[in-house]
Amino acid sequence: MSALIRNLGVRIASAGLASKHVLPSVSALSHRLSSTAAADAKKPEKPTVRKPDAVARTHLSDFGRYVAECLPKYVQKVQLTAGDELEVLIAPEGVVPVLQFLKDHHQAQFTNLVDIAGMDVPCRENRFEVIYNLLSLRFNARIRVKTYTDELTPLDSACEVHKAANWYEREIWDMYGVFFANHPDLRRILTDYGFEGHPQRRDFPLSGYVELRYDDEKKRVVCEPLELAQEFRKFDLAAPWEQFPNFRNANPPAEVVQPATPPKK
Amino acid sequence: MSGLSHIMRQRPFALQMSASKVANVLVARWASSQDIAPMDLKSILARPEEVEQRNKLSGKITVPKAVNLSPISGVPSDHIRERRVRIHIPPKNAMQSGTDNLQTWQIEFDNRERWENPLMGWTSTGDPLSNMNVQFGSKDEAITYCERNGWRWYVDSEQTKKERVKNYGVNFSWNKRTRVSTK
Amino acid sequence: MAGREAIKRAVQQVRPILSVDREEARKRALNLYKAWYRQIPYIVMDYDIPMSVEQCRAKLREEFVKQRHVTDIRVIDMLVIKGQMELKESVEIWKQKGHIMRYWKESQDPKPTDFLSKFIQGV
Repeated sequence: MSALIRNLGVRIASAGLASKHVLPSVSALSHRLSSTAAADAKKPEKPTVRKPDAVARTHLSDFGRYVAECLPKYVQKVQLTAGDELEVLIAPEGVVPVLQFLKDHHQAQFTNLVDIAGMDVPCRENRFEVIYNLLSLRFNARIRVKTYTDELTPLDSACEVHKAANWYEREIWDMYGVFFANHPDLRRILTDYGFEGHPQRRDFPLSGYVELRYDDEKKRVVCEPLELAQEFRKFDLAAPWEQFPNFRNANPPAEVVQPATPPKK
Repeated sequence: MSGLSHIMRQRPFALQMSASKVANVLVARWASSQDIAPMDLKSILARPEEVEQRNKLSGKITVPKAVNLSPISGVPSDHIRERRVRIHIPPKNAMQSGTDNLQTWQIEFDNRERWENPLMGWTSTGDPLSNMNVQFGSKDEAITYCERNGWRWYVDSEQTKKERVKNYGVNFSWNKRTRVSTK
Repeated sequence: MAGREAIKRAVQQVRPILSVDREEARKRALNLYKAWYRQIPYIVMDYDIPMSVEQCRAKLREEFVKQRHVTDIRVIDMLVIKGQMELKESVEIWKQKGHIMRYWKESQDPKPTDFLSKFIQGV
């Protein structure tokens, strides 16, 4: 087919009919055909799946490896999640040194504390995870520092490193009941005064334990144990079938960054 | 302190610096002049009892492993006293559904009184824990959780499903050759 | 079963919250009690609650005695921390009248104890 087109083009040119708007149209036609042929040869990509940049991945894993080498006492594991998000998993006593290192190191400069998140997994021995999201404006990079604790073990407050940690840690204290040692002003921030319990824990019921109403006789709000006029229905939302067998081994949720040299025994 | 006032007199801009910054400058100068490592400001400026407290808290204490967290978990004490937790594997749906959601252990509380709502006829309850559902990977994790939180618990007996040989359909399996051609 | 019995007796090395031994934890609890005790007249005056100072002190005592069985140092510390925060909320008048009156659980009917009241309430 392409040979035919080429012949046709040659013939048109040789016939001297090559006025200025005939030749380009033929060449455009042949170009389009060749481009479709090239596209057929390449494998079609799934447009919905974002491909992480390989260079960025190597940079991130190199940096993670470097952090692990600099702070071997605190860093327990370095991993890449969702393709290109660097996570550093540290021991609970290393919160302040690690954040200080990431903030002050000249090649890191993670000076912005974007957020501190909490996570509750009641089946674990250390059931809470505290997750620090950091941003380096200088290098346009983000890093996540994760640590763990239980109900009674205090974590060191990151306030002396990042001023922004103040309210975030108050949120964590209020929602999960993780105590932050050396926090300048640890008190409730989201719940009402006199509220008991920590609502983001997995074992805190959706409805709470008490209800409040305005009492017209006493002229104030009173607190009573909960009574539901209609009980919550129990929905079993876990499907009995495997949902996405195609994605069974699609993306590993986290890829561990191995240290450069295996530790000597 | 005389050194501090001296610096402040010498350089008016130092007045605007906070005291800690001035102290920082001082420590840095002093350290460089003495040629030793700079000291931690906090430990220099702290009062002796603060230092003592910090040293005490930096160590570890020995406590029994078994703890009862019920006083600080925020659960009302009458629930802790009266409720009993059932630890079990959720049963399979009686219909021909799959079994993908039956791999976990979960805890469930005993039933409390329900009543009919006089206005609408709904089922009313005073039990906040009736719809709470916490899942665990194994029986031991659930037991540990219950003991730490002061719940009374019992493990519902494990139902092991017996794999039965299909005894009728097998007869007509493709490799049995029980179907004899009539031709 | 034997494994769990062993766990009950086992000890562990942990990071302290505030106190390093029982005596210190006890002192902290007593200090908190005293602080509340001294603030109660002001709280009664500021919030204009329909309770006398004596009633408030009885309630304070009741709240502390409720936790008398607690022996774990760290649990005591957590209770002290929470009590301290509540004291601050009360003293700074961040709370309102209803929050203070919540300690008495007024609108909750007491549970029936003797036969006749149980019978009347239908339990």
